Order: sequence, then structure tokens, then C-alpha cells
Amino acid sequence: MGKTIQTKLRGQTLILSSDKAIFWKEESILVLADVHLGKAMHFRKAGIPVPLSAGSDNLQRMTDLITGFSPLRIIFLGDLFHSFHNEAWEQFGEWRAGHSVIDMDLVIGNHDILPEKEFSRFDIDVYDPHLVHGPFVFSHEPSDEQISGKYHMAGHIHPAVRLRDQGRQRFKLPCFWFGTHQGLLPAFGNFTGTAIIEPALEDQVFVTTSNEVIDVSTLL
Amino acid sequence: MEAWQACLDGKSGIVNAPTGSGKTYSLFIPALLEAIREEKVTGKTPERGLRIIWITPIRALTKEIEASANRAIEGLGLNWRVEVRSGDTSTSRRAKQIRNPPELLITTPESLHLLLATKDYPKFFRHLRTMVVDEWHELLGSKRGVQVELGLSRLKSILPGLKIWGISATIGNMDEAVQVLMGDWQHSDKVKLIKSGIKKKIEVVSVLPDEIETLPWAGHLGIKMLEKVVPILKESESTLIFCNTRAQCEIWYQKLLEADPGLAGQMAMHHSSISRELRTWVEEALHEGKLKAVVCTSSLDLGVDFRPVGTIVQIGSPKGVARFIQRAGRSGHQPGALSKIYFVPTHSLELAEAAALREAIEKQEIEQRIPFVRSFDVLVQYLVTLAVSEGFYPDQVFKEVKSTFCYNSISEAEFEWCLNFIWTGGDSLAAYDEFRKVDVIGGMYRVTDKGVALRHRLSMGTIVSDQMMQIKYVSGRRIGNVEEWFITQLKPGDIFWFAGRSLELVRVREMTVQVRKSKSKTGKVPSWQGGRMPLSSELTAVLRAKFDQVVNGDLEDPELKKLLPLFELQEQRSILPSRGEFLIEYFKSKEGHHLLFYPFEGRFVHEGLGAILAYRISKLVPISFSIAMNDYGLELLSPNEIPIEKALEANLLSLENLSEDIRASVNAVEMARRRFRDIASISGLVFKGFPGREKKDRHLQSSSQLFFGVFSDFEPDNLLLLQAYDEAMNLQLEEGRLRLALKRINEQKIRLSYPGSATPFAFPIMVDRLRERLTSEKLEDRIRRMKLEVIKS
Repeated sequence: MGKTIQTKLRGQTLILSSDKAIFWKEESILVLADVHLGKAMHFRKAGIPVPLSAGSDNLQRMTDLITGFSPLRIIFLGDLFHSFHNEAWEQFGEWRAGHSVIDMDLVIGNHDILPEKEFSRFDIDVYDPHLVHGPFVFSHEPSDEQISGKYHMAGHIHPAVRLRDQGRQRFKLPCFWFGTHQGLLPAFGNFTGTAIIEPALEDQVFVTTSNEVIDVSTLL
Repeated sequence: MEAWQACLDGKSGIVNAPTGSGKTYSLFIPALLEAIREEKVTGKTPERGLRIIWITPIRALTKEIEASANRAIEGLGLNWRVEVRSGDTSTSRRAKQIRNPPELLITTPESLHLLLATKDYPKFFRHLRTMVVDEWHELLGSKRGVQVELGLSRLKSILPGLKIWGISATIGNMDEAVQVLMGDWQHSDKVKLIKSGIKKKIEVVSVLPDEIETLPWAGHLGIKMLEKVVPILKESESTLIFCNTRAQCEIWYQKLLEADPGLAGQMAMHHSSISRELRTWVEEALHEGKLKAVVCTSSLDLGVDFRPVGTIVQIGSPKGVARFIQRAGRSGHQPGALSKIYFVPTHSLELAEAAALREAIEKQEIEQRIPFVRSFDVLVQYLVTLAVSEGFYPDQVFKEVKSTFCYNSISEAEFEWCLNFIWTGGDSLAAYDEFRKVDVIGGMYRVTDKGVALRHRLSMGTIVSDQMMQIKYVSGRRIGNVEEWFITQLKPGDIFWFAGRSLELVRVREMTVQVRKSKSKTGKVPSWQGGRMPLSSELTAVLRAKFDQVVNGDLEDPELKKLLPLFELQEQRSILPSRGEFLIEYFKSKEGHHLLFYPFEGRFVHEGLGAILAYRISKLVPISFSIAMNDYGLELLSPNEIPIEKALEANLLSLENLSEDIRASVNAVEMARRRFRDIASISGLVFKGFPGREKKDRHLQSSSQLFFGVFSDFEPDNLLLLQAYDEAMNLQLEEGRLRLALKRINEQKIRLSYPGSATPFAFPIMVDRLRERLTSEKLEDRIRRMKLEVIKS
């Protein structure tokens, strides 16, 4: 489950993992965004030689998070599977069966192009365009629209921030971002890119390295 | 004439001639004569079909070649057809050319490969006698040159009687240029290098400032010299003003207009971000003598001759001898005419460069063009190209590929890797894997999937451009392109200067920036990246000799004479090093401890050297540095005392362990990551999508960065990844040049000086804003004290 950092939001305890997931402690819900399973295979089918092993440890990393947090429920914030049906979906199905006691929900993302019956086959409840639970609205894409004063949690962006060192050195690191009304999760999947966001002064930002999750809000 | 004979004798080779010396005819006439001779011998008209392919690197030149070819055909009374085939040629025209080929086809390296991606290409090429590669010196140092090599290897194999001729301006490695073009023919006696012997007369005139800044500063783009440039424009019918960067070009244009409002309507701007239509208009107006002046960048280095242009102005260092000669040659087109070029220094030390340039031209010390070797990205693309059209057998193609200069050292295992990359996708074929690109049918590699073939044809080529956004007026008229990152710095209502106009950003829609004209005089100027080329090693060598001249009291060059106060101050505060000496300066200021070295080897070498020296010193004591450099020297700046004497005793400048120290000190990963961007695109890893079909392909979009990470993690021996590291070491860091520089320094006497304050040599380096850092801290620790980049809201 990597190293963690704890933060409070709308009176709830959120544990941010360096493995790019949020564990909502009070409700025992694990939240993951943009896993992009099957993407490597999808690219290969189109003749783009991504190594097959790319993204292959996504399932193992999800297992590690389950072992670490023992969640009752997992919410995927979209782009769970990045392809039409391929063998990687069946591998996911086997993994799902191994964790059948956990409820799993998916908010549909723009790359989730599988037919709905594939999700019900593996006992995954599908929501479109969002899922509301407690003080939070979970969706794939961020939105400026406020839903009855609730806080919006989204993925889709694959957020990262640039950090500037003295001199010319700059780093780009994936991050969790929390604004006043909505927040973004980093992309969980290994075979995914990032997009630079520019946080405002009052925002909260936590970057992830392969070992740690670090609060950089004070550096703003 | 020598070329005529050699060509008629069935030989191949290179004609070495400057631009505008009738070189087109030197090869085209004999090809026509050959056809006439054939007709006489056989008594019948030769079968119609493609006889000559003329490859040119620049589309703009095709028209001119077409016109001269047509004149020659008319002159000899032949009924040949001449056609152009390039990215601008319509699909229907191209199809017609395949069905009914012209005798002479003028095309580009990219279009040649597209022809090889066409079904039945052997039939199309079957009557081909002569292949001419124009401006070979331009192609040689690029991956487009590799494309030419590969294309020739295929054509040589299917057409045993083929003649190959290159046309090249003089470069420092003329013999190598022949070897690269000829491939395995290089040792054959049918290969000739024909020198025209025509030498253009060039006069270099420095525009001297009234007063010399003894502490030169590199930041003001030479604008101070503006009032001296205006009279030069007045004297000449038409003038080209060359700038090194597009930003400098925009600023000079703006300032010239302010200085002489009479130029409005008679002056234009030309750089590669301006729309094709606008550039064509400028070129035509120049041709017709309608323009008094054009402020331009390297975008006008090559291309058609503008006869009315009588004067050239170069703003700032041209960084190389060849580029300077090329630019000077854009004036004085009449045979035997003098080409006059004015050099405008942007800071005083650049004056010494003018003196060096004059001498280098006199002695013909011209840069080499280093050919690419082992470019697996281009090879992978080429193999798919062949698989898309006729299919190929690996044994045959391996032989052909190995016959080229670029792939001469490729091993069977490496070739096998490339085959697997396109067949199985690198991995061994797993049962459920659906990797599809190239199929192997009866030992033949073919593409059968229509989608794969289409995607390949659309993404062929070796020129990779940045993500660009179109700039348009709200009414829809195009103005040009600008890099995405510049636009992201602006918000609606902001004013910026582009193509000589003041524009207000209205809105951004997808990849289009909508603007309207603004009356505001102040605005941002896009500072495009990539304007920081290093001085060439040829130029730095002559420059070092010029400094030595000063030490010996030889001030014959007016520039050096003008610089005398600067040299005197240098000598007064520190040392003016002679040829046999290597100067190191060490002093303290409010900023910290400054350690300066002056190898005069160009920016890239100094960048690498700076990192190595910092690393070696930091092994002696715990210390952190920031490193700055320019073309003349480099600076290590530290908050702590730098143990320079101890470091020199410990062989700071030694050649020993150089490779290891480079690897330990230079951020090779970052450099390789940057090189990988082009490699990923050329090898077909990154697909940009079809025009108008974005929706369907969006699930295939990715970035080279992503692939770089994936390969580094999961396939570290991937040849494309290794190629990125090789390119970083050889092209970016110039490891070879760095080694030679250190060797030279080791033969010199080290003079360590302790000036009381910054010297004229040190000052321009110290104010340089680009700094690198060397440190061994953990990433996580660094993050904790770094700054986040934020939007100010």
C-alpha cells in the first residue's frame, strides 16, 4: 500500500497512498482513478509494440492495496479498461473473482468502451456520469457544476505538478490535488501519462514518488 | 563539363559546387544527352518512363529546378515531361504520375519513401537511369540523409545500371559525404568527386559600435546597433537581415519599423512559424524586387535565389562558418559578383568572432556534417514501408541495408531485433497476444492490415515537429503556428507580437488560437526554444587563434583593434591567455565563490565539461555548484570555498576515467529522454492521429515520454532506447569533441588567476541565466525545498 499521508476533507479522513490511491477511512472505501487495464494490449493490436509487461503489475498493486487497507468497497473513477475486449479483461475477471467479498463500482470514463454486460459479468456496478456517497460526488471527469454543495472527486486528468529547483532543473511528479470544491486523483495505471496542472495558492497538493507521498502545499 | 563526361561514362559521384553555379545543368544535360545517344545507337525512341529522379531537401526549390530542366529540354528539342511530387502534390496528380510517369521527377526524401510504400514500385522505377541528390550537404547531417541512403540501397539492388550523383556545397568532410552517398560503391573506380573550383568572393564588414562595453553583456539582442543598421538598408536595393532566433527576428522587425517608419510596407518578416501562404508571399515579393528589407531566420538560408537582394546583414554570431557563407551567398548572384555581408555584434566579444569568420572563410575552414549512424528508428520505419508495398525477404534487405554507411556496423542480431519489433512487437508471441503490424507469409514480411498500412503512410518521415497551435484571425485567416506552451502562458485579452503584428488573444479553441489586431505597442514576444546552438569547432579553433594574435600584439583586424580596451582590462584584472596557456579564474563576490574556465570550445562542450569538473571537485569535498556557460567558457558557482588548487593537484582536468565521470555527472537520462521524442515518432510508437478522424483513434494516443518510461522499466535493452542514449552522448554532449578539448587543455600551461572582481571574459558567463546544478541529494529531500510552479490567482 506504499507510504501514506492522512488528510481531512469535509470532516472525513482520507489516507493518500504513494501508490496513487485514496482510502476513505470512515466508510472503508478505496478509490482508484484511471487504471487503464488492457491498454498495452490494445496498442499492440494496432501494431504499436508496447512491451507486454507494461502495466502488467497493476493487478498486483491493487492486491497490495487491498491487503494493506482491507476495504469493503472499491470505487474506480473511470478508465478502468482502455480497450475493446481483449485477454487483459479476462485476467481482470480472475482477479475480481479472487476478491468477491469486496463491492466494486465503476464510474464510466471516456476510455471505458466495453459493453455494459462485461461489467455485470464480473459483478461491477456501473455509474454514469457520477456516483454520490456521503459528502462526495465521484465522477470520471472533473466538473465545475456543484451538486447540492457536495465535494467532487475525479480522475481523467492524470494530474502532475512541476517542481522547480534552483537553476534549470524541473521535475514533473504525479499528484493528488484538492481545490475548494473538487479534487483530482493521480492516474493509478502504470502505462499512463500525466498532464501538468497549475494549482492556485489556496489549493492542497500532494506529490507521489515511487516511495513516498509528500505534501507540497506549503511550497506554493 | 567534367561532370558531363563522368555522367555520360556511366560513373557516379558528387559534384562539389556552390549554390547558384549552374549545377542543375551540370547533371541534367548529360542525362538528356544520354537519352539522345541511346536513340541514335538503337535507332528508335527509348520507351517512355521515369528516367531521372531529382531529390531536393527543400520544396521551395522544386519550382526553380523544374524551370531550368524545362529550359534544357526545350533547348535540346526533346519532348520530355517534368513533374514535381511532394507533400503539396494533390492525390489525383500523384496517382496520375504512377500510371504515366514523367521522364524527370523532382521530389523530396520523404516522397521517395512514399513511392517505395506504393504497390508495384519496381515497375514504376524500371527505366530509372540517374538519381540526383541535390543539396546533399543539407541532408547529410540529418535522418533525412539516412532515408536517402536506405532508398538508394533498394534502388541500387533492383536497378543494377543506376547512376547516383550528389550535388554538395563545400563541407569539412567532403570525402565522407561521398562515402555516405555511395555506400558500398565507395571503393569502386566508378565513383568521382568533381570540384567546380568556383569560389565566391565574400566581403565581411563588421558594424562597429562607437564605444566598446568592456564588460559585455549578451542579453540585449543587438538592438543598440539599430541606428547603424538603418543606413545600410537605405544604401541597398534589397537587404536580408538574418537573426538567429524567431524572437530576435520579431523584435528587430518591430524596432526597425519604429526607427524608420518609412519602411512600413516595404519590409517583411520570414520565419518558420509564419504561415506557408505568408512566407510564399514574402518570397515572391523579394523575387520581384518589391521589398526593401526582410528580417528572417534560417528559414531563408536555403531556397530560390532572390536576384534583387544586394546586401546581407547578420545579427549576432552565426555560430558556424558554413552558415555564414551560405547567408552571405544569398546576395550577389551574378557570376563573379561580390557577396557583401555586414556582421552586427550583439555583444562586444562577438566582434572577435567576425575577425575569426573572415579568416575561416579565407582559409576555407568549413564545418563537417556528421552523418547519423545506426539509426534504428529510421530502419524500423523503412522496413514497415517495404512491408506495406511489395513485402520483403529479410536476407535480401539485410544485405542492402548493411551496404549503407549508416548501417554498415549493424549485426544480424540487431537486424533480427528490428524484424521482431515489427512482427511480434518485441516480445515473444504469447498465445493471447494480438500484436499486429507486419505478418510473415512464406518467409516474406508483409503488411496485410489496411489500418496499419494507412497509419504508416500517414506518419512516415523523419522530421518531428513540436505540438503547434494555429494562429488565426477571428475571421478565419491563418497567420502562422506557435508552440502550444507559449499560448498556455497567455490568457484572453493578452497582447503578443507575432509575424510583426500586435495581436490580442481572443480565445483558444482546440488547437486554434483566435486573435484580433491590436493597437498596443507593448506585448509579449514568443520566445521559441531551440535558438541556442553552440559555436562550431572549426570556428572556435580560428577564434582561439585570433585571441592569440591579440596577445602577440597583432591588431590588423579592425574588430580586434576596436576590442583593445576590453583586452586591456582583461589583462589588467587577470590574464590574457596565449595559445599555450589555459586560463582559470577564481574570485569571491556577494553571490558566492566563482570559478571560471575558458576553453573556447562552444556551449555544448562547456556544458558537459562543467558537469564533469563540478563532479570531480565534489568528490574531494562536500560541495554543491550551479554551473553556467557560454560559447567561450564556463563558471562553477558555489556558496562554499572551492578548493581549486587541491583539485588541480588531483588532476582535475585529466582524461583518465573520463567516460565514467561523464556518466556519473551528466544527466544522461534527461538528455536521452529528449532525444527519444523524435525516435518514438519516427519508429511509429507515437501516432498523432489522422486529420479529421481523431475520435476513432483517440484510444491509441500516447506520448514518447510514456514509452521512454515503459521501455526503461520493462525493456532496458530496447535498441531504440539505447539509440536515444547514443544520440545524447554523441550529438548532444559531443563526447568526442569534449575528449579532444580536454586533450588540448592538457597540453597547455595552466594559468590560475585571482582577479579582484569579474573580468571581461567572466562577465557574460556570469549573467547567463541558464544554470545547471550538480548535487547528490535524494529526490524526496529536494522536493521538500523546491518551488511549485503556480498560477497566480
